[in-house]
Amino acid sequence: MTHHPRLRDPRLRGGPIAIAIALTLASPALAEVKIGFQAPLTGPAATDGVSAKTAAQMAAEKVNAGGGVLGQKIELVTYDDQARTDEAVFTANKLVGQDAVQFAVSGSYSASGRAAAPIFQKAGVPFISAYGVHPDITRSGNYAFRGVHLGPPQGRAAAKFVGDNLGLRRVSIVTMDNDYGQATVEGFKSAVDQFGIKVLGEYSYSLKDRQFGSIVASVKRDNPDAIYVTGYFFTAAPLVSQLRSAGIRAPIVGSQAFDAEKLLEIAGPAVEGVYIVGGLDRDRDMPELKDYLAEFQKRAGYAGENVGATVYSAIRLMADAITSAGTLDQAKVRDALAATHNFPHLAGELVSFNALREINMPMNVNVVKDGKFHHHAWIDDLKLLAPPTE
Amino acid sequence: MLYYVDLAFNGLIFGCMYALMAVGLTLVYGLLRILHIAHAAVYAFGAYVAVIVANGTGSIAAGFAAAMVAAACLGMAIYRLLYQPLLGYPPYVAMIASIGLLVFMEDGFRIAFGEQGLTFAHNPYPTQLHEFAGLTVNTVQVAIIAAAVVCLTLLALFTTRTRLGIAWRATVSDAPIATSFGVDAVKVRYLNFAIGSALAALAGALIGLLNNFVEPTMGFVVSYKALAIIVLGGLGNLQGTLIASLVLGLVESYGTIFVGRYLDRDAIAFLFLIAVLIVRPKGLGGIKTA
Repeated sequence: MTHHPRLRDPRLRGGPIAIAIALTLASPALAEVKIGFQAPLTGPAATDGVSAKTAAQMAAEKVNAGGGVLGQKIELVTYDDQARTDEAVFTANKLVGQDAVQFAVSGSYSASGRAAAPIFQKAGVPFISAYGVHPDITRSGNYAFRGVHLGPPQGRAAAKFVGDNLGLRRVSIVTMDNDYGQATVEGFKSAVDQFGIKVLGEYSYSLKDRQFGSIVASVKRDNPDAIYVTGYFFTAAPLVSQLRSAGIRAPIVGSQAFDAEKLLEIAGPAVEGVYIVGGLDRDRDMPELKDYLAEFQKRAGYAGENVGATVYSAIRLMADAITSAGTLDQAKVRDALAATHNFPHLAGELVSFNALREINMPMNVNVVKDGKFHHHAWIDDLKLLAPPTE
Repeated sequence: MLYYVDLAFNGLIFGCMYALMAVGLTLVYGLLRILHIAHAAVYAFGAYVAVIVANGTGSIAAGFAAAMVAAACLGMAIYRLLYQPLLGYPPYVAMIASIGLLVFMEDGFRIAFGEQGLTFAHNPYPTQLHEFAGLTVNTVQVAIIAAAVVCLTLLALFTTRTRLGIAWRATVSDAPIATSFGVDAVKVRYLNFAIGSALAALAGALIGLLNNFVEPTMGFVVSYKALAIIVLGGLGNLQGTLIASLVLGLVESYGTIFVGRYLDRDAIAFLFLIAVLIVRPKGLGGIKTA
């Protein structure tokens, strides 16, 4: 027998025709719950955008294969925001106005998530930015959530890792000069006293830089026990190679965005032994994660990374909240999202959201071993990792 | 002390790379009064040809040879197809076309070879280390300095000791008079684009090898940096350009450390440019062009 759960919904069974018509008008595809989805499918951020879209699609299929939400299938309404604020505003308005989506997820960068969040807030659309790290995203209002750690907790976790786990004290810091890099390093520096770390030197570089000779020479002069580096794979790979080429052998602790397969390809043996605080734990004993990584590899043709994992989890999280709310009422789904506890995020156990709708979640540390990312440690001091609350 | 030597050495490497890049640019300006911004795309093109041919044949030397030959051809094609038809218009028309070509080629690399860039399949050179009086340098860094010294020496010999080279210099300093002495100005232009482009490709391929990373936008930063250098050197002035390349390399190397907390490397370069132009409006290279 075909499954018709909708007919079991007491509001619909034998309800007045007017309600059915009203519902039809409000949501043209009655059989489906629409989730708006933005990702940078073209332009400079397209690699992450395509990963995000693949992962989102996989999550939607997973939800639907398990019976959907409240007996209805979820449907992604996807737009390309090119990681640009103007496109993000345009497509967010389109999602709200034209497509009448009830929920939204951003699989895009900080800038576009930050631009889109107020539009969803105003429309009362529960919204999750899967991996956008700008602090203002969740400050847009009580409908905006974030599924990833902010820079400062990442930096504090790195300080704990260096001081406690590695037991190293004398550290040089090399950071990219964008908001995220600086916020992360501020977090690191705020925790150095707590973990007995002494900062020998702090150097910053622009995202366009690929030659780091003078920074490398300075780190060499510092002669540190460990080096803390923030950067993306395209800066991190040359930087780590150049540090190693200068004969610097101190352990390198990198930030979350090191966690990309391309890092291994570019820097090869030079990144062997590099630690990544906030990387995706691919070794975790979690069947859904294993399935996800295998399926992602099959669909995308390359290995799954943090971006895809956070997007996948954001879609699952939204579906989970709708299910536990037991209704499509957006205010109730928002409340259910805010009340999330112990959700199996692919990047770790999402314990809860705080008052600012930021995650409380342990952080994984990876190490590069034999040309692959492997789990090394968990930083699970949630007090240390506590995100900002205002 | 050694630290300052190390910084100077790093500045020297930047400077050599800039020099290889800027020579072609300043010669084009001297000859045609065009700001050849697409020169940066030729630089990236060289890196792409090098990595693709090297990975295809297994020989990095073959990759470099192919890069220089292909870039020389590309340079001549750019002259023939882009600049020659625009010679009758004011120079900014050609400059706008040049910017268009740079953007077009960057996106072309992105579409053809992917957003994430390419890497050499076998590249032991950046990790081969050598010790010189306490400095640790790798093979590619040595190669960058050697390439700049050898190529620029050959260029100097060529332009001072051969008939064609002398004709070239004559055309750069005064085209009508050179032509009246029987110099084929068109031939000189092709020569100019071929040599300048081959040097840019060499610089691009070496940087690709150094970072083991060739990416679509790699030309962009060098494009405006090289423009700053040729202005600094006195537009069209070869000697001034070489001096400016090395000086800028050193300024960036020290600047990154001492003012890098407040200014990024490009800002340092341009502040320096502005400061020099206030004091010496004709640039570092003096008054005479070429």
